[in-house]
Amino acid sequence: MNAANQQSIPVKVSTARTIEFAIFRHNPYDDTSEPHFEHYELEEADSMTLFIALNEIRAKQVPSLQFDFVCRAGICGSCAMLINGRPGLACRTLVSQLPAKVTLMPLPGFELIGDLSVNTGKWMHGMSERLQTWIHSSEDTNIDAIEAKMAPEKAEQIYELERCIECGCCIAGCGTAQMRSEFVGAVGLNQLARFKIDPRDNRTDAQFYEVVGNEDGVFGCMTMLGCEDFCPKELPLAQQIAYMRRAMAVAGIS
Amino acid sequence: MQTIVTDALIIGGGLAGLRAAIGVKRRGFTPLILSLVPPKRSHSAAAQGGMQASLGNSAKGWGDNEDVHFADTIRGSDWGADQVVARMFVHTAPKAVRELAAWGVPWNRVQKGDHKSVINGEEVTITERDEAHGLITARNFGGTAKWRTNYVADGTGHSMLYTMSNQAIAEGIDVHERMEAIALLHEDGRCQGAIVRNLITGELIVYLAKVTCIATGGFGRIYRVSTNAVINQGIGTAIALETGIAKLGNMEAVQFHPTGIFPAGILVTEGCRGDGGLLLDAKEHRFMPDYEPEKRELASRDVVSRWMETHIRNGHGVTSRFGEHLWLDIRLLGKAHINSKLREVKEICQYFLGIDPTESLIPVRPAQHYSMGGIRTDYRGESPTLKGLFAAGEAACWDMHGFNRLGGNSVAETVVAGMIVGEFMADSLMTEASLAISSMAIESQVAAVRAELASFQRSDNNENAWQIIDAMQSVMTEKVGIFRHGGQLSEAVSELQSLYERASRIKVSDTSRGVNPELCAAYRAKKMLKLSLCVANGALAREESRGAHSREDFPLRDDKHWLKRTLTSWATDASSPAIDYEPLDVKTMELPPGWRGYGGKERIDHPDTPARQAEVDNVQATTEDRFAKQHQLMPFTECLPAPFRGRNGRLSEELES
Amino acid sequence: MLFKTPLSSPRGPAVIDMLQSVSGIILALFMWAHMFMVSSILLGNDAMYWVTKMFEGEPIFGKGYPILVSLFALFILSLIVLHAFLAMRKFPATHRQYRTLHKHLGGIRHTDSYLWYVQVITGFALFFLASVHLYQLIMHPADIGPFASSDRVWSGRMWPLYLVLLFVVELHGGIGLYRVLVKWGWFMGKDPKVGRKRLTIAKWTLTLFFLVLGLLTLAAYMKVGYEHQDRAGERYQPAAYSHLNSASQGGNH
Repeated sequence: MNAANQQSIPVKVSTARTIEFAIFRHNPYDDTSEPHFEHYELEEADSMTLFIALNEIRAKQVPSLQFDFVCRAGICGSCAMLINGRPGLACRTLVSQLPAKVTLMPLPGFELIGDLSVNTGKWMHGMSERLQTWIHSSEDTNIDAIEAKMAPEKAEQIYELERCIECGCCIAGCGTAQMRSEFVGAVGLNQLARFKIDPRDNRTDAQFYEVVGNEDGVFGCMTMLGCEDFCPKELPLAQQIAYMRRAMAVAGIS
Repeated sequence: MQTIVTDALIIGGGLAGLRAAIGVKRRGFTPLILSLVPPKRSHSAAAQGGMQASLGNSAKGWGDNEDVHFADTIRGSDWGADQVVARMFVHTAPKAVRELAAWGVPWNRVQKGDHKSVINGEEVTITERDEAHGLITARNFGGTAKWRTNYVADGTGHSMLYTMSNQAIAEGIDVHERMEAIALLHEDGRCQGAIVRNLITGELIVYLAKVTCIATGGFGRIYRVSTNAVINQGIGTAIALETGIAKLGNMEAVQFHPTGIFPAGILVTEGCRGDGGLLLDAKEHRFMPDYEPEKRELASRDVVSRWMETHIRNGHGVTSRFGEHLWLDIRLLGKAHINSKLREVKEICQYFLGIDPTESLIPVRPAQHYSMGGIRTDYRGESPTLKGLFAAGEAACWDMHGFNRLGGNSVAETVVAGMIVGEFMADSLMTEASLAISSMAIESQVAAVRAELASFQRSDNNENAWQIIDAMQSVMTEKVGIFRHGGQLSEAVSELQSLYERASRIKVSDTSRGVNPELCAAYRAKKMLKLSLCVANGALAREESRGAHSREDFPLRDDKHWLKRTLTSWATDASSPAIDYEPLDVKTMELPPGWRGYGGKERIDHPDTPARQAEVDNVQATTEDRFAKQHQLMPFTECLPAPFRGRNGRLSEELES
Repeated sequence: MLFKTPLSSPRGPAVIDMLQSVSGIILALFMWAHMFMVSSILLGNDAMYWVTKMFEGEPIFGKGYPILVSLFALFILSLIVLHAFLAMRKFPATHRQYRTLHKHLGGIRHTDSYLWYVQVITGFALFFLASVHLYQLIMHPADIGPFASSDRVWSGRMWPLYLVLLFVVELHGGIGLYRVLVKWGWFMGKDPKVGRKRLTIAKWTLTLFFLVLGLLTLAAYMKVGYEHQDRAGERYQPAAYSHLNSASQGGNH
């Protein structure tokens, strides 16, 4: 062994624990199914994520187990679930950082598809339609010509807010959204803030007020801040909601 | 049984599918998108580094144009690409970027004045022009002569996908989420839609359509170590193959990305190296200049991946309990750059490796990344053998990548293909496409699907779907990987063949209603094995090394015998694929085969090459205008849909005129 | 369709939201100012007497008009009623919402969500406790002063209520001010996440300060009230101070 070998892969070494998983089970399409927890044991392995653990449990113990993973790299937002009660992305949660008993539940606030799988897509699609999360511009673009200019800082500022992956953690972490299913949540307000600061979007504040100047919109927010604290992308959600709140307050009284 | 009728059925809700649907819709037809997952979760989102398009706004991209982009792409492809298609692509790419800019993508912009940057391990100052301030900027990527990769930090695909998906919502395009097409409907050589499984209820639904487009991405998940999302199982490609009529092109052309993090195989972008990151070995020695003195870390992906594996074989890898790997060093780029332009990379390192890349080296090793092969189509995106079946993006092989794709050309291709194929689908809807499938054909094809699904619940079955998939992935990674050898490939073929036979005896024990993940794994296993067999058989048959296909027993590129495209088909009820070939004509190439500018210089030339080269040289010498020159060598404009034929405005060219 | 979209956009929601914040800010600032006033007892009975007379308008009118205190207390009470009425629309309205909220809070173990719930509970308590206190002031505006107040605290056996009220009001107001700043994005600085951390520290520091001040103040009233219990009901006279003081001292000897 030479000296260089000592600098080996920086993954935490852990003595192999046996992890007990308590997993929420329910298949709403099966009339005989009742919501309940099932317990599975799995020997921990190095750098095991919940993605690896759940796939192993399914392949070897319970083939009917439902869950959603797509990118398994923390960028697509498919795998949000309640991990020991708190919303997070399962794919990038290392088992080594969890206690020996792990409770997994589907993300609350969304339609249950089965077990840990929920229909965040349908919710987010509805939000997009309702808030019209796209550039509203009447200009016809000539795609042959040199593009319109934009200040470099402005582009970066927009991307900062566009990093949202619609995982639903902010909805699951929000007391308001949990109580009131019509609340647009931080995901909606942040996206609208993203379009509001975009010079390509021609909507006026009065038009934004039409969609979020109400109790299901920005004025429904009670600033419990779960959205900001559970956002896996660490987006400045409280700041964006405050920004929308100020703008909508002015729009509302003028 | 529910039946849904539409004009254009688009299978796949990533960038290519969404853009094709928008095109169809804007021409007045009704598209309908099927997507395995919510469209914004498609694998397009994983493209981090950027999208190539020759805007030529930035200082290091100055003087760039379609010609340069074209040459880079063809060299990258190791002359396996269809040059007309590559031309159509490079011509349309700037339009795609500009369209997306108008729709809302916050492309990073040129900041006028001096900037510090890292090139070849050294800090340099780049001065951006005042007049370019605020235009879309670009970063460096492998195998390119200019800095051409337009980007949004390292979330380019994410931004593009969100913008495109929102645009599709704005245009009122129907997306049926969590739907999986598991068979194509066809009669008399014409595709008429698909039989689709609802991944929530488990029900089968018939979707009838005048034209169908497969845009389901690649099939990386037939490999064990892949950067691909878990949904990239190639089911869309497989159902085209299963018609027995459509053919797959160049399935053996599989790209391995140099920097998958080790051992998880999660991608860190080529932008890391483009922005100045280095590859180091166990002794923290920068080894790429030893192998590639000219392009160093920024040779094409196939070349860099091969040198990395060679370097590990030569005993310079870092040993770890998971095996050997190398290091990627981006520390020299500085915290500010990493925290803003390489944020996702930083997050990935933090969460999956527990390290901070501003301070630590990143363990990397090449991982399967991209499928150059796919459903063979013409330049319009339509299958030459199964009419009414289109394909776009990674799922397709209209063949702009040949045997190796350049970084940044894939997200670019998705959007460009969506634009072009969408128009041609609309053309087809205006002229020949109709709904003319008999109910008998529908019934018999649905019955066949039902029978296949039911077959997994036979009581005497005894195989486990996940074990079969696991075994298949091992064979592919170990024997059909970066370096290939006839002996290993033969073994792979026979092992895959036996797995395929075992797959018919997969037992699905769960019979409850709903999606039934075990059943999904069962039918997907069979389809994936078919694709694996196509890849392995194609690789075994191709006795040369070209691009990403590297045979140790045939190390040279052999234009004389192998300047041709592999076509694979699978006759109904056959147990293995059939292969035939389609020649590439040197005499019509704008850029005749030669040395790529990196990688091995030796090759076996095609007999027509010298003559064609002379013709090309003559045109180059006698014609002044680059457009006239290009037109003389290989006219392509007529192949493009009318809306995309216009020339691209550029700061440099407008200033010159 | 998952959501309903309103047809028209009245200005109501904006006004209501701002009123809730503004009434809350006024009440919280008043609460702190009030604490400084009553804590004047710590500086001696004369100081407190002087503050009382200020509020009765003596410096302006030449003599004190306790009715002014009544009116001001009425104003504060109506602000509280308004504030509570506006805040109530955010409370769980149905049993189902209540259950959902409890399940949510129980699971996520999240400080700011807990703090919100603390505000709900303290707000509920305040509505009653503060009303009792204010009703008394409205009806007996003259009963404020070093002896009158102390008698109320001790002989009137109000100190348990004030003790609870102190904690409830400081928690509610402190959390409320913090929340209103975050809600509108004020004083957050360049990096809002750092800003929030700073605000949290400031909030707890202030709460702690006012709790200590409040406890000391209450103790002072209790002490004065205890010592004055034999003559409960007697009004404080600054001129008689030294006499009474020496008398009481004499009595103790």
